[in-house]
Amino acid sequence: MSNLAQNVAKLARIDLPDDKAEAVQEDLEKVLKYVQQLEALELPEDIEPFFGAIESVNAIRTDEAQPSYPREEILSNAPDSDGQFYKVPSVFEQS
Amino acid sequence: MNQTLETTQAQRDAVTDADVTLIVGLEVHVQLDTQSKLFCNCSTAYGADANTQTCPVCTGMPGTLPVINQRALKLAIKTGLALNCKIANYTKWDRKNYFYPDLPKGYQISQFDKPICGEGHLTISDAKGAFETRDIQIERAHLEEDAGKSIHDETGAQKPSKIDLNRTGTPLLEIVTKPDLRSAEEAKAFLTELKLILTYIDVSDCNMQEGSLRCDANVNLHIKVDGEKIATPIAEVKNLNSFRAAERAIGYEAERQLRVWKKDGLGIADAPKQTRGWDDANQKTTKSREKEDAADYRYFPDPDLIAVETTDEEINAIGSTIEYLPSKLRTELMESYGLEAYDTEVIVSQGIGVVTYYKTVADFLTKSASGSKSPGKTASNWVAQEVLRYLNEQNCAIGDYPISGDQLGELLARIAKGDFDQTRGKDVLAQMLENRADLEAAIEKLGIKAVDSGEVEALCQQIIDENQGVIEQIKGGKVQAVGSLIGKAKKLNPNINPNLVKETILKQIGI
Repeated sequence: MSNLAQNVAKLARIDLPDDKAEAVQEDLEKVLKYVQQLEALELPEDIEPFFGAIESVNAIRTDEAQPSYPREEILSNAPDSDGQFYKVPSVFEQS
Repeated sequence: MNQTLETTQAQRDAVTDADVTLIVGLEVHVQLDTQSKLFCNCSTAYGADANTQTCPVCTGMPGTLPVINQRALKLAIKTGLALNCKIANYTKWDRKNYFYPDLPKGYQISQFDKPICGEGHLTISDAKGAFETRDIQIERAHLEEDAGKSIHDETGAQKPSKIDLNRTGTPLLEIVTKPDLRSAEEAKAFLTELKLILTYIDVSDCNMQEGSLRCDANVNLHIKVDGEKIATPIAEVKNLNSFRAAERAIGYEAERQLRVWKKDGLGIADAPKQTRGWDDANQKTTKSREKEDAADYRYFPDPDLIAVETTDEEINAIGSTIEYLPSKLRTELMESYGLEAYDTEVIVSQGIGVVTYYKTVADFLTKSASGSKSPGKTASNWVAQEVLRYLNEQNCAIGDYPISGDQLGELLARIAKGDFDQTRGKDVLAQMLENRADLEAAIEKLGIKAVDSGEVEALCQQIIDENQGVIEQIKGGKVQAVGSLIGKAKKLNPNINPNLVKETILKQIGI
C-alpha cells in the first residue's frame, strides 16, 4: 500500500503534493483497516451475496422524451464554452 | 498454454501458417431504439444541435437521480432472448470510473457482475460454405449509458477540445462474445448475422454511420512451437465502424502480430494488452495515443440506482414479442418452399418485408393450379432478380414496390400455364411498373392474347416450308437448330409460346 495515496490521486486526476501525500496515505490506511474488520466475520457457506443496502427494487420510468434544458442554462455551469460546445483543455498531451 | 516459454529465433523462423491459430473476441455496442435516454427523459434523436438534448441528470449535476428506462430494459431482454442468453431475474447497476472530458460524471453507469443477459450463442454459417456452420458463444450482454462526443483539435496546436453531450446517457447494449472466432471472415459473418437479428427483432436501427452499431475486436494468436502453445499479446482494436473495417482490421492484426512475434518473441505475459485503432485510409491498425497504464475502473455498485427484478413470466411475455428470427425463416424457406441455401440467404438477408413478399408470391403460384413445377424456386428467381433489382435501382423499400405479391404470383402462374413465355412475362412486368398498370391491362396493352392451337400449327407449317435447309439439318440429327426457327416464329408472332413452337415443329416433321 506504499503508493496508495498517489495512485488514487492519479486516478482521480488530483494533484497531490509530496508534503501532503504522507498524511493522506496514513488517513487512507486507517479507513481501509477500519473497513477490513468485516473480513474477520465468519459467514455461513450458504449465505446469498448481498448487493446493496436498499431492499426495494424496480424503480422504473416509461420511455418518453421530454424537453431538455435550455443550452444556455446547461452551459452556464461549465468553466468554459463557446455557446454551443463545452471547451476543455486539449486531451492529448504534448508528445 | 505456456505463458513463459522462451523461443529462439530459429524456432520462430520455422513457424508456418499451419502452426498459427487466430483468436478473436468481439464487443459490440448496440444503440437500443428508445425515445429517451437510459436514465433521464432527454431525447435520443440523432443530429440535433450540440448540447440541446441534455439535462442535470445526463450532465452529471450533483443531487440528481437517474431512473431506468423501461423500454431499454425490455429491448435488452428481447435481444438476449434472440441470442439464446440466460436472462437475469436480478440485475443491478455499477459505476465504471474513469476520467475523460466526454464523461461528465467521471463514471459510466454500466453493469459489472450482474448483467441483464448471461451466456448465450449465435450460429454463424456461410451459404457458399467458406467455413463450417457453428455456434459462437456469447459471454454476456449488459446495459450501459453512452458517453458524449469529443471534437479534438487535429492541427497539433493544442487548441481546446469541444464536447457535445447530446449522446451522453443514450442506452447501449454491449454484447460480448467469448474468444470463439477463428478468422476475419467468421467475425464478419457474426456481425452480419447479429445485425440481421437485431433488425428482425426491431430493437435498433443498426445505423453504423450514426454510431448505432459499433464494434471492438480483441485479437491475438496461438502459435505452436515444438509441441508447446504460445499466445501473443492481445490487441484491442477499437471503433470499427463498418463490417469491412472489422474484417480488414482483424486480418491485418493477424499478419502484424505474427510479424512482430517472429522478431521479438514476446508472449502474452511479457506485454500488456494494447489498444489500437483502425486507420481506414492506410488500411492498417495503429497504436492508440491512450496512456499505457493498466485500466483501473474501480467498479462498485451505483448507490443512486436500485436493482431490477424480472420474473420468468415477464421474460416470457417479452419473448413472445419476437415474431421473426432469420434462422427460423431460413429453415422455413428451405423446408417448405424447397429453396437452396444460397437463394434462401438472398431473400432472408433483405429483411422481413421481402421474406413476406416472397412467400405471398410463392404461395399464390403454388395454389394457382398453373402446373408450375417448382413454384418456390420460380418465385425466388423473380423476387431476387426482378424485384430486388427494381428496389436497388429506385433505392426504395419493398413496401414501396408498386406490384403486390398476388399480382406477381398471378403473372408467374400465367407463364406457367403457357399463356406467354418468360421473356414476354418480363415485358408484362416492365409494362406494369412503367404504367402502374394491373396485370390484365398490361397484357392487353402489349397485345398479348393466347394463340390458339390452329394458329400455332399454321405458323409452324409456314416456317417449315420456308426453311427447308434448317429442317434437313434437324432431321440429320442437329436438333438444336430448331432454336433459329423459334426465333423466326417469335418475329412472326411475339405472343407465341416458344416451347409449343418447338414441340409442334418437331411433331410436324416427324421427330
